[in-house]
Amino acid sequence: MSLSRSLSLGAVALSLSLSAMADENVFGYVRGAETLPKGAKEVYQWLTVRSDKGAGHYRAIDSKTEFEYGVTDRFSASAELKALGINTSGLTIDGYLPGDKKYGLKPSGIEFAGKYNFLSPAKDDFGLSGYAAVDYNWLDAHSGQDKKKIDAEFALLAQKYFLEGQLTWVGNVGLEATYSKRKAIDNLPADFEWPTSPEMEVELKAGTGLAYRFAPGWYVGAETLWETEFETDVGKERWSLFGGPTLHYGGKQWWATLTYFHQIRGGGEKYAGQTDNNLHLIEKTRNEVRLKVGFNF
Amino acid sequence: MRTRDWSLLLLPAAALVSPVYATDYLSVPVAQQMLFPQAKAFVEQTLKLSDEQRDRIKALSGMRQRWAEQKVWRAEKDGQLQGWFIVDEVIGKHEFITYATAISPDGRVLGVEILSYRETHGSQVREPSWRKNFVGKTLADPFKLDEDVPNISGATLSCRNVLDGVKRLLAIHKLYLAHA
Repeated sequence: MSLSRSLSLGAVALSLSLSAMADENVFGYVRGAETLPKGAKEVYQWLTVRSDKGAGHYRAIDSKTEFEYGVTDRFSASAELKALGINTSGLTIDGYLPGDKKYGLKPSGIEFAGKYNFLSPAKDDFGLSGYAAVDYNWLDAHSGQDKKKIDAEFALLAQKYFLEGQLTWVGNVGLEATYSKRKAIDNLPADFEWPTSPEMEVELKAGTGLAYRFAPGWYVGAETLWETEFETDVGKERWSLFGGPTLHYGGKQWWATLTYFHQIRGGGEKYAGQTDNNLHLIEKTRNEVRLKVGFNF
Repeated sequence: MRTRDWSLLLLPAAALVSPVYATDYLSVPVAQQMLFPQAKAFVEQTLKLSDEQRDRIKALSGMRQRWAEQKVWRAEKDGQLQGWFIVDEVIGKHEFITYATAISPDGRVLGVEILSYRETHGSQVREPSWRKNFVGKTLADPFKLDEDVPNISGATLSCRNVLDGVKRLLAIHKLYLAHA
């Protein structure tokens, strides 16, 4: 089944169930500071489509199915199952993208995360939470090849309400440390580099978003995310700045957020023949679209 | 090579969704009778507020008067003023929360009733044990969450906005109803 059919089927399966009247996640990429109350449960489904590396054909779909539980009124814990689908052809990037690859969504990793709220944005005027996550992946999100990867992420999440909550601002800063090891590939192109020794990477990220509630339950906003990654061999491997609009609907029982994220600027490593020198197109794409749906119960 | 389709992974999440519709818990007449059981008549006395009057409300309460029209009823018994019944809306997490506040002629909160609450968490705002914390409040009180009125986890924004809303209604009473 093609990626587009897989996505369509999943989206239809969700949308058919969403004909009801109906929490959080007003943004697609940046996170708010609020936590679930004790005993509350929430299931999230994320779908992210990444496309266009400036040459050939490249489209990948990331899926995350997440369960979050309010352990206390200030601390919530979550577990995620990740899946990856990829369709790339006509593009090889030495050391990163060995060749064509096509498969539908299949399990690619698991993640465990926790969020602790220090200050409530509604009660203390300025909200602040700490976020930590550990994840284990067995598929490379860029090439779709087999790759063992362990990440640890730490972030501070700030949030402030304006106009009695009609306007929401969030700001995030974070750091992610990664250990990864690729599986060897047979029949690589001549002189193609595909290192299989362990790699260590550190990524820094900062993001911000602003959303306005223009009708009951409906928010429109914009968000931006800056990321840079440093790797053992090459030093600064990449940086990118994405930004774009967000539309959010939230009700009593469910919410949905749709974000279009476009790479505004980027840099670092480039692949041979890359024509756009103002973007990073090896590990990132020009465009991303993310749909998140959350169910409270 | 045959590839497997895993899009069915999405189905469990989809299956959890069921239709839920918003509930209006109380009508205005029922809330009037609950807050002023002794009253025999409720005379509508809607306030139409100018920009200057709204600015004065904000200056006194610290809260923005969102509406130019405020629904107010004068509760009477045998022609005697029993108090004021005011219906108001404040922002919840996603929807407006509609509530009614009863204020005595001398500017004390007699009671609060939630007419409509559609948020995911915090349905405890409807419980008498939470609403009773408002009784007796005047503009002289600090109106701080967890001091005057306890917070409800998961519904902090709703609790704060209802608390701030009641303070604003007390300011409206002082400015435009106390001598009416």
